Amino acid sequence: MNKPIKHLAIFCGILFSNIIVGQNIVRYDLTMTDTIVNFSGKEKRAIAVNGQIPMPTLTFTEGDIAEIVVHNKLKESTSLHWHGVFLPNKEDGVPYLTQMPIEPNETFTYRFTIIQSGTHWYHSHSGLQEQIGMYGSFVLLKKKEDPTFRTGIDDLPEVPIILSEWTDIKPENVHRMLHNANDWSAIKKGTVQSYSEAIKAGHFKTKIGNEWKRMLAMDVSDVYYDKFLINGKNESQLPQFEAGEKVRLRISNAGASSYFWLNYAGGKMIVVANDGNDVEPIEVDRLIIGVSETYDVVVSIPNENTAYEFLATPEDRTKSASIYLGKGKIQLKSRMPKLKYFEGMKMMNEMMNMDGSMDDMGMDMSYQQMDMNTVMYPEITGNPEMKMDDKIDHSNHSISANKDIVTLNYGMLKAPQPTTLPKDAPIRELHFELTGNMNRYVWSMDNKVLSETDKILIKKGENIRITLYNNSMMRHPMHLHGHDFRVLNGKDEFAPLKNVLDIMPMETDTIEFLANTEGDWFFHCHILYHMMAGMNRVFSYENQAPNPYLPNKKWAYKKLQAESNQFHFMAENDFATNGNDGMAMLQNTRWSFGTEWRLGYHEEHGYETETHVGRYIGKNQWFMPFVGFDWRYRKQNGEIEKNLFGQTNTKDQRAVFSLGAEYTLPLLVKLQGEVYSDGNVRFQLMREDIPISPRLRWAFMVNTDVEYMTGFKYIITRNLGISSHYDSDMGIGIGATLNY
Amino acid sequence: MNKSLKYIMIASIVLSTSAIIAQSINQKTETVKIYGNCGMCESAIEEAGNMKNQSNVDWDKDTKMAKISYDSLKTSKEEILKRIALAGYDSDIFLAPQDTYSNLPSCCQYERAEIAIVKMDASIVDNETKDQTAYSNNTAEMQEEDPLSAVYNSYFAVKNSLVETNGGTASANAKDLLTAVNNVKMDKLSMDVHIVWMKVLENLKEDAKQIADTKEASRQRAYFNTLSKNIYEVIKISKQETPTYYQFCPMANEGKGANWLSKEETIKNPYYGTQMLSCGKTVETIQE
Repeated sequence: MNKPIKHLAIFCGILFSNIIVGQNIVRYDLTMTDTIVNFSGKEKRAIAVNGQIPMPTLTFTEGDIAEIVVHNKLKESTSLHWHGVFLPNKEDGVPYLTQMPIEPNETFTYRFTIIQSGTHWYHSHSGLQEQIGMYGSFVLLKKKEDPTFRTGIDDLPEVPIILSEWTDIKPENVHRMLHNANDWSAIKKGTVQSYSEAIKAGHFKTKIGNEWKRMLAMDVSDVYYDKFLINGKNESQLPQFEAGEKVRLRISNAGASSYFWLNYAGGKMIVVANDGNDVEPIEVDRLIIGVSETYDVVVSIPNENTAYEFLATPEDRTKSASIYLGKGKIQLKSRMPKLKYFEGMKMMNEMMNMDGSMDDMGMDMSYQQMDMNTVMYPEITGNPEMKMDDKIDHSNHSISANKDIVTLNYGMLKAPQPTTLPKDAPIRELHFELTGNMNRYVWSMDNKVLSETDKILIKKGENIRITLYNNSMMRHPMHLHGHDFRVLNGKDEFAPLKNVLDIMPMETDTIEFLANTEGDWFFHCHILYHMMAGMNRVFSYENQAPNPYLPNKKWAYKKLQAESNQFHFMAENDFATNGNDGMAMLQNTRWSFGTEWRLGYHEEHGYETETHVGRYIGKNQWFMPFVGFDWRYRKQNGEIEKNLFGQTNTKDQRAVFSLGAEYTLPLLVKLQGEVYSDGNVRFQLMREDIPISPRLRWAFMVNTDVEYMTGFKYIITRNLGISSHYDSDMGIGIGATLNY
Repeated sequence: MNKSLKYIMIASIVLSTSAIIAQSINQKTETVKIYGNCGMCESAIEEAGNMKNQSNVDWDKDTKMAKISYDSLKTSKEEILKRIALAGYDSDIFLAPQDTYSNLPSCCQYERAEIAIVKMDASIVDNETKDQTAYSNNTAEMQEEDPLSAVYNSYFAVKNSLVETNGGTASANAKDLLTAVNNVKMDKLSMDVHIVWMKVLENLKEDAKQIADTKEASRQRAYFNTLSKNIYEVIKISKQETPTYYQFCPMANEGKGANWLSKEETIKNPYYGTQMLSCGKTVETIQE
């Protein structure tokens, strides 16, 4: 062998072994199994990993090689996404985008080098599995010799804190009910905001104004949860901490749809990191953590023999979860007072244009700095109603207006090191308008859901600058996979780095990142039910190498698109003394297949069905043209009916096709116009869900065939109501309404 | 006695005793200490602790002891005591939140064993807080130099009263403002400041007087709008070492929008008070 080559070979050998020695492989085995849990007093199905909920905390040090072996023992496919982690695209864990789903009884290994530090988390990216237990903390430690190591922060004792929620209703069912504007959640939360409640609160005009602008009751969240959890428990204690100690809480919000307020009973909290990136320490009284965000917070244990409550309250303030730090008597934190919903409704009315778009009145809102929801917070605005009320509600006892509460917002975040992007890279500007439709629970970007758009092509080496404007009524935590972006919040070269951006209604925010890792990366709203409704995009690098885990990308993208545009079924039938009245509907983002029936108990009342297949048009989906088919049979011996236009019909036996359209008028009244194949014309006005009181609904219908109906329904359970109605064909009746 | 009647009686006795037994198995009664003072505390404690079909609390204001009976299948001693603590009353397990305790009626403010929360050592929060102390020192020095500083200070006092919707103090502060305006040593003003000052002087006096003459915040705010514009004219031209923020809320003044000046960058809107405290934005930062 030639000498220099030999030397080279030896040198290479040494180098190679060095790499092996220098890189520490850290392996975790994760086994997913079905399990039964009892969070609320009822036994329900959930998914456990290694027998536990949340999934185990995975800890690595920067530079380690992570090797995570997934054993799927479920009866359904699964996946794991490493939220906020930089990795090769094929390890990102999005089924049908970066890999094929991990099928039942399959074993799959994720393997990647850890090239960052910070608090992150991981969760299933398959269907709604995240809601039933598949979330866990993912902690990446700094190396001791890291130049950014902060003594006094990075060497403190630390605890992972993972926030979540639990609902006894199957998440698939929750999702279906949201799409059908089922208000069971609002009933359970006490947030129906019905007319009787409005009148009691002196806000009748506000409520009318709200419905005039075609809005359903406004709320800060949509789903009713039975329990809120910190590290899988509603209440728990960490007694290992002593007085005088400081503790770093590594907090991840793994809630599927809940934002959480964080409060601490032992004094102020110091925010030291966000989304896994260090920030200059900021002292605050409280902060709100968006869905899927992470914050690192330092708290102290001030006194001996006292444990201090760390309180997580969902944004709707219905309930809370606590963890006590220290031992001894427990120092509680006061509960957050209930929201003043009608004040929020009034504010919304002012901001909403008649055409359904939002008007920020020239306020240039951005980066959470002007929280319009403040009008609903009694702890900030005071609670004048309380003084008049002589019966004091003790849970709300401690309300007094306090303007000095320091609440964190994005404008306060500042990176400790410059975060500027390469100056010479080409800049690619993108704009997205976040759009939505609460009534039909359609959430989109630029009024398009994922199934209506192609992947967005970007080039490696470009600086991507994205301006987002939220023109919907809800806040959205927008998450980008595989990259951190700079939030251009006025801190110039020290703009903070994040991977989730909470954007409030009417806000305009700008973010930018260097396109540096090729692949297909998901960009989506992290509220699970918004994501499943289609509020997603994919950034795809041009000319990327093929993904070995996903040979047929074109086909896979179609599967991904279909997942967030599923059809939802609903059905209702009123078993009344004067007949059966019911309907069934199958709907997705744009299409609606619906059929209604009225079945009498004898031939004189007859049998009747109307079927419509329609497509919703426009952003607000107020307009739906449709084709229909009507069939009717009854025995009334040829009695001839005349409509308002003088057209006649016996209606005794008829089968006709129709062409028509439905339009939602102010006050949410539906106007329907139809032309039938026999030349007859019919117009109809109808509304079925006027909230008279929290559980009482009023319905009416009137049309040009001189048919009319009016009735009331009292909602008893999620699937059952008692109703009474008068129908011009069938007369008066009472009955039980079953709905699905 | 009739035989069947006898059976019924036996059956009903057996039934009723078993019901009593079932109840007493789950029913627990404990006596615990709850801190409080008076009869008002008693009703507040009991109301917070009682829950239909779950728990019953009977507190004695002399011994401070409460008899708690509850259904152990449905609830626990801890749950009941937590509710009572959240209403403001300490026990040996839970301490009431600080703010809830201090909002109790004064007769209920029992003596607490441990009150003081040690102030957190904020050593890791560096820049921001230190900056603020430096900044207040600066303003102290400036007051001696700038002949208008008394005017600015009373203007900010008026603004702060309006932020709190406190017409009384706003009126008093406006009186101070009027005095300050009258006492300005105009010979000490620089040429350009003097010119602007003479231009706005009469309006300043008028607005300050109007605000001083009423205690109704809504009327004061109308004059505060023009007052702010005039103060802005002056402050813009005079040299300022520390920043002053010129802020704007488009909703104020019946949707026509209105400005104000503030020493803090954080928005605290003087036109709505607590109603829309954070409405507005900084449109100009005035600094030399």
